[in-house]
Amino acid sequence: MTIPSVAAGAYANIARLADPSAGLGKAAGAAGEAASGPSFGAMLKDALNSVTEAGHKSDAQTQAMVAGKSDMVDVVTAVSETEVAVETMVAVRNKVIEAYQSIMSMPI
Amino acid sequence: MDLMKSIAIAASGLRAQSGRMQVISENIANADSTPSQAGGDPYRRQIATFQSEMDNALGARVVKLGPVKTDPSDFQVKNEPGHPAADANGNVKYPNVNPLIEMTDLRDAQRSYSANLNVINATRAMIQRTLDILKS
Repeated sequence: MTIPSVAAGAYANIARLADPSAGLGKAAGAAGEAASGPSFGAMLKDALNSVTEAGHKSDAQTQAMVAGKSDMVDVVTAVSETEVAVETMVAVRNKVIEAYQSIMSMPI
Repeated sequence: MDLMKSIAIAASGLRAQSGRMQVISENIANADSTPSQAGGDPYRRQIATFQSEMDNALGARVVKLGPVKTDPSDFQVKNEPGHPAADANGNVKYPNVNPLIEMTDLRDAQRSYSANLNVINATRAMIQRTLDILKS
């Protein structure tokens, strides 16, 4: 259930960043939260936090299974959920970095 | 996401089927358990039941292992006067476990488990294929 929040949150934030009314030139300024919308850094931090949360959950499940308290099925589902969350996060990050780099290499 | 939901639902099927396997293995293991005292009742066959349950956190109907019921059918009676559990007439009651029925149940549980695993695999493949669009 973390995947939609990661992906949808990231997309929504990117859309807000791309929105001209939110103010241009803010995308590169990763430090500090602007008044009219979250910065790129904050967006990445948000996405990372939800992925880390999923990672903690699967860690806890694995430890519980090793201690004999948890079901293997729970571990498998938690780990696969984390896997998908991390992969989505990495894919979104790669896309954003790619876009940023193509902007940076634009001849002025 | 709906795809993660279907993985969670299939996982509930896996859990229910493993509970059923436990009941079947109890039945098979106890197929020869005679009464502990003379003239007493032996092990009674157990039957796993399944229930559909609404999971509010998930927003979907999952399957859950219901109460484990006992099989009320008659015990097998064998005439073994020398047996420690024999009654006054020399009859010993054996559990009402039929190994053939248990093997069929076991195969059924095995197939159902595999079906749920296939659902998980197919769902994972769908998620991966969707992610591939983002990667390319």
